[in-house]
Amino acid sequence: MDPSQLRFILEELRFSAMLPAEVLDQLAAASTIKQIPAGTVIFREGGTNDNLYLIRDGRLALEMSVPGRGAVRILTLGAGEMVGWSALLDEGKMTASAIAVEDSEVVVAEAEKLRQLCRANRDFGYHLMEQMAAALSKRLVATRLQLLDLFAASPTPVPDRTSESEA
Amino acid sequence: MTTSTAVKSKERFLSKEAFAQLFTVLRDHGYTVIGPTIDQEAIVYDRIHSVDDLPLGWTDEQAPGSYRLKPRDDEALFGYVVGPHSWKRFLFPPEATIAEANKTDAGWQFEGTTDDPPKFAFLGVRACELAAMRVQDRVFLSGAYVDPIYQRRRSRSLVIAVNCTQAASTCFCTSMRTGPQCTSGYDLVLTELASGFVIDAATAEGADILDSLETTVALIETQQEARAARQQAVQQIERRMDTTDIRDLLLSNLEHPRWSHVAERCLSCTNCTMVCPTCFCSSVKEVSDLSGEHVERQRHWDSCFNFDFSYMNGGNVRDNTRSRYRQWLTHKLSSWIDQFGTSGCVGCGRCITWCPVGIDLTEEVAAIRGDVP
Amino acid sequence: MSSSYVAPLPDPRLATDPWRASTVAIRAVRPEVEGVSTYDLAFQDEAVRASYRFAPGQFNMLYLPGAGEIAISISDDPRNTATCAHTIRVAGNVTRTLAGMKVGDTLGLRGPFGTSWPLAECIGRDVVLVTGGIGLAPIRPAICALLHQRRQFGRLNLLYGARSPDTLLYAREYDDWSERGLIVHTTVDRSALGWMGNVGVVTLLLERLRSFDPRNTVLFCCGPEVMMRFTVLTALNRGMSPEQIWISMERNMQCAVGLCGHCQLGPDFICKDGPVFRYDRIAPFLDVEGL
Repeated sequence: MDPSQLRFILEELRFSAMLPAEVLDQLAAASTIKQIPAGTVIFREGGTNDNLYLIRDGRLALEMSVPGRGAVRILTLGAGEMVGWSALLDEGKMTASAIAVEDSEVVVAEAEKLRQLCRANRDFGYHLMEQMAAALSKRLVATRLQLLDLFAASPTPVPDRTSESEA
Repeated sequence: MTTSTAVKSKERFLSKEAFAQLFTVLRDHGYTVIGPTIDQEAIVYDRIHSVDDLPLGWTDEQAPGSYRLKPRDDEALFGYVVGPHSWKRFLFPPEATIAEANKTDAGWQFEGTTDDPPKFAFLGVRACELAAMRVQDRVFLSGAYVDPIYQRRRSRSLVIAVNCTQAASTCFCTSMRTGPQCTSGYDLVLTELASGFVIDAATAEGADILDSLETTVALIETQQEARAARQQAVQQIERRMDTTDIRDLLLSNLEHPRWSHVAERCLSCTNCTMVCPTCFCSSVKEVSDLSGEHVERQRHWDSCFNFDFSYMNGGNVRDNTRSRYRQWLTHKLSSWIDQFGTSGCVGCGRCITWCPVGIDLTEEVAAIRGDVP
Repeated sequence: MSSSYVAPLPDPRLATDPWRASTVAIRAVRPEVEGVSTYDLAFQDEAVRASYRFAPGQFNMLYLPGAGEIAISISDDPRNTATCAHTIRVAGNVTRTLAGMKVGDTLGLRGPFGTSWPLAECIGRDVVLVTGGIGLAPIRPAICALLHQRRQFGRLNLLYGARSPDTLLYAREYDDWSERGLIVHTTVDRSALGWMGNVGVVTLLLERLRSFDPRNTVLFCCGPEVMMRFTVLTALNRGMSPEQIWISMERNMQCAVGLCGHCQLGPDFICKDGPVFRYDRIAPFLDVEGL
């Protein structure tokens, strides 16, 4: 796919929609688009991965393996969201496995190219990292809410009394 | 006050001797008289039968966290200010059956309250207490739902107000613009003098009772003497609370450090809410007979200072004293205005007097306002 | 009554005693998910049944003599006049007692009470319903009402988060809702083997929602308070204004008529000024701890 088409796709994705024109151009130039059939493992927890992925369509799941429980699905991600931050920020050592839950289409950006762009052009770096930080902070908040286990049947033991309220 | 029509003011003089007849007249009109009497070293409101039950020659000395009865050097019958009781205990009883359930062949059947109180005559109602009744009228009678127990009791009651001729150190009714002079909300109003009372009626029922008493024309000098006696109460009031924009002041200071400060002293004992003449929080408990087939729902006074008052889903929303004191004070002085169009405080000072550690809400408000260091 | 008597004469229609319950019988009990069942209740008195109406979002007080009384939101289709459904989770003494009761048993009901979802506001606009856990129960009557007059509204989306796949409430109804024009998105906090749906907290669904026009959308939210706070935050981030957001609050409701004082939050009584509030009204008091 030629970069102008890719650029158009990036403009529509929530992760990259806010990026300035030049940054979008550079990101498009460093990216390709890829179809991923359902069930494909994109990267594995503990393994290395060279790419940052932006989901254009479909759904990916992040899983972590827990002895005795197997692969535990932590989060599913959809269109407009970013997967594979470790490739960019953590030298490619992945903290979870990513699997396509359904047939998906992703924008693939080579992490090393992005790093080079960041180093060479601080402006590019600022804008890309700003989006990374925003995406990760949202994911952190979502994880905290998950951690709170808000929908647990009874947060604390209920004493025997008559005034309960459930409306 | 009763529901009878208003009448024009016409002050009369009632001698101390003739005052004793009031009890007979009230009885003849079918009233059960509730008035001040001494019990457990305090002047409380209870059923009284004659002048002899009144606290003749006694007064109360009040300060933050302190209440003492002291003999007077005269024979005043109403020579005190206010005690731990308020009239709310007769209009909104500390315990009342609000509903009943009976198990029948057709399953559970439900009844409302069967409360059938006597006609009360409240004798010795102070101006701040008239204001408190108006406040509770708003709470229990003016919303979309009316409390049947309060309504029944309130509409049957005769209110005989007695103007204050002295004030306690804890009084601040002038700040709340509720007293000390009684201006409305009564059937009869008295001002006590050494020789007797200046008495006036505000309703037809009050006038009817007044006509049954042996009174004489209130001379100009007597009326002046009564005015002076009432003025004396005004002059004795030292405590002040600045109520300027108080609604916004408190609601915009919900995280003020003063709440933690007062929480260090507050025992969360509920005394202030029990003695407050306007506090209306309650809970209901199930009281079942041995068979379990007859259940009464008993409402009792509750308090926002009780730990489990805000219980929800296995936890208490207000789980510390800071949040509970803040709830009480912001409700009383601030959100009450949103809810009922009036402050919940009438300036009677009971919460100051009866607080075991002497917390003074006027001081707390001043601190939040930034008036004190 | 004299002119100086402060309290107005009560409206005769209000002469009814707010404390007096009506007898209802359990007509059916449907287990929903672990610890949660729906009870269909029918008034014993035909006249009461005939005159009973509720609006989506309102609640009833259910009274079990000897055990106590609880506030339960109504989960039924508001057009259903024969019985009234309440979806209830076993959480305390009263609900535990109720769980032990069977079809034909009687209990007391007072209601309906409180404010309702602003369905009139939704005409000609998109509606997003964001709910979590048992918070779907008070939303269900709104779903019924929206779908009943489906053509009056724009896009309808339900974003529903549950703890795990087996705790998704009313799962058997999703297909029917979808067919009638409500897009149902679900997610779970804890995945399970075989679950192919979304995993992650429900606010992510709002984050991802496509075909979303923030200026022409009304959002209803019902669930745990923390979830609602973050849902509102997400909605505001996505360009909605506070006046378009409605949330259903929960506090210790005992009398249901603003007379007992328990359910206050700032200047509001949740029982009579709520439970459904426009967000901008309640916002100043939502983030204050222990209010």
